[in-house]
Amino acid sequence: MSGLADSAMLRRDRLWPAVVASMAVHLVLGLLALAGHGPAIDLGQQPITARLVRLGEPRPRELLPRKEEPPPAETGPEAAPAVAPPAPAAPAAMPGPATKAVASTKAPPKPAQERTGATSGTRRLGNVLAGMKQELAAGSPDGDPLGDSNEAVGDQYQAQVVRALKQNYRLPSTLSEKERLYLQGTIVLFIEPDGRVLRHEFVKRSGNSTFDEALERAVRDTRLPPPPAGAREAYRRRGLQVDFKI
Amino acid sequence: MRLARLAATCLALSAALPSRAERPRVVVDAPDFHPLPVAVAPFLAEGDAHAAAEATEVVRADLARSGLFEVLDPKGFLADPGEGLAPASIKFSRWADVGAEGLVKARVRKGAEGFSADLRLLEVRAGRELLARTLPAADARGLGHRIADEVVRHYTGERGIFRTRIAAIRKTRDGRELVVFDADGQNARVLLSEKALLLMPSWRPDGEELLVTSYRGGGPELWRYRFSDRSFRKVPTGRGAMGGSWSPDGSRIAFTAIEGNDTDVWTCNPDGTGQRRLTTSPALDLSPSWSPDGKRLAFVSDRAGTPQLYVMNADGSEQRRLTFQGSYNQTPQWSPRGDLIAFTARDERRVFDLFAVALDGGRVQRLTQDQGRTNEEPSWAPNGRMVAFTSDRGGLPQLVVSDPRGERQTVLTSGGELMTPAWGPLPAE
Repeated sequence: MSGLADSAMLRRDRLWPAVVASMAVHLVLGLLALAGHGPAIDLGQQPITARLVRLGEPRPRELLPRKEEPPPAETGPEAAPAVAPPAPAAPAAMPGPATKAVASTKAPPKPAQERTGATSGTRRLGNVLAGMKQELAAGSPDGDPLGDSNEAVGDQYQAQVVRALKQNYRLPSTLSEKERLYLQGTIVLFIEPDGRVLRHEFVKRSGNSTFDEALERAVRDTRLPPPPAGAREAYRRRGLQVDFKI
Repeated sequence: MRLARLAATCLALSAALPSRAERPRVVVDAPDFHPLPVAVAPFLAEGDAHAAAEATEVVRADLARSGLFEVLDPKGFLADPGEGLAPASIKFSRWADVGAEGLVKARVRKGAEGFSADLRLLEVRAGRELLARTLPAADARGLGHRIADEVVRHYTGERGIFRTRIAAIRKTRDGRELVVFDADGQNARVLLSEKALLLMPSWRPDGEELLVTSYRGGGPELWRYRFSDRSFRKVPTGRGAMGGSWSPDGSRIAFTAIEGNDTDVWTCNPDGTGQRRLTTSPALDLSPSWSPDGKRLAFVSDRAGTPQLYVMNADGSEQRRLTFQGSYNQTPQWSPRGDLIAFTARDERRVFDLFAVALDGGRVQRLTQDQGRTNEEPSWAPNGRMVAFTSDRGGLPQLVVSDPRGERQTVLTSGGELMTPAWGPLPAE
């Protein structure tokens, strides 16, 4: 018993140098903090919002597939069958909901403008956010989830252009499968610093007027984002070559 | 020596200069296919305004049903209704304003023997004529179908299917009848009315005859209906036989032979001779459907425990399983394009829906879902761009046609109870 007390006493005696050293270190750290050399905390930084999404149970492989969306409501019946008298048995007007939907997708709703939070953020942060905003505007809801964020700025711009053009790259279903095998065309776009395409030029036509017209329409209907600062002159004078394929 | 050095310097310099090859280049692919917007102007009439109006409606309905076109609503048209057919007289900007890319115009004339139409197909943007034809037809509906066929042929390079027929079995109070419809579900003609069961018509490839399963003799047997003399004759197979199907060249018939509790797939000549057994498993093997080249057959077998689709050569060799999803797959129909087999399957909710499986890779696609409890018995249009089937979505099973993806479906009929439709061949040109 007394041996234990002795050893404790002994240890308490020996603790003094350690306590003194600790106090000295704290003092130094406190002084440093007061002098303003602490780690910088950017108070203007925007919070990163993450949202959890329920993915649901994967459908067992042995079951038959399900459609994501059931087919649209069908049209018809056109008129009573049987021996049709030559009365004005006008078949029901056909433009159904499906075709209407196609027509109305022309102008995809723009995502809501995000607050830039430019009040106290650094200029760099503002630039990054502006870039993100631009990407949002050009992106599509069915964009590639594996999109690579490590693309260089130039590649990123080209990816934005491709995405924007794809939204307007629509071809008529009347093109036969045979034609779909070989149809392609190449257009050079001369892009103004604000993203407008004032001039474009066919490098290669497909020879199929329906297809070539659809390409012209895609180019005409697409509003491109402004090119990155360093490449404006090149895109305006030399242009961007776009190969349209099926 | 100096000259060579100068040349080398020049070369180096020119390589350093920005050349055309340095222009950045991107690829845009995977386009979105959408129906082509067409306007069908009210047809001009010479003599019979009613016929012109009817032909106009037929063309609009045909083009829309095909899924290839978006037929614009005539209520929005801005052009003068009396506008002529010549490109010079057409105000194309008014058609462009309503969104038309193609414009169909015609003048319908009533002659001593039937009707004829001057058809013009125009490209709105370019303001030019694409097609000019004069087409004859016996009546206004036939004229409309002819015009629609021409329009489809112009755009796709393939024959249209609007003048084909669809055969089906209709229930009557005390039996069944064999009915033939126009491809738009109109103009139903009863070919046969029987007290006994009638099932599963199949067209001879030339459209002159129908092969039907009839219980007229007490059990299921194959019978041939001939259009020319309305004759109905048994195919003497000497065994219980059902679900006969004519080979694409018309030389053979594939059918399901029934012996006790076993069924197998057989083939024979159209007169019942030359019989050949293709499947020998003790399981059920049934519902043969020919590939478009006549070299293979799709069929159903439950040899693996549940009914699944299989394919084999026309001599019974190389039988292999095609579907591995679902537990009740039946009624295969090989597409005339050869790439897909449409079939009926019961899913895990015990409703019957239409599916198609790709021959290449076996991917299964769903055509119908949540549209009634039973969508079944597919039959392909001869161009493979549409499929007909029956559906109880509106009550009793009716005839429905769809594109091969199920995106555009049209109910064609509205009376009686229909089953086992069979889409007929293209008419002779």
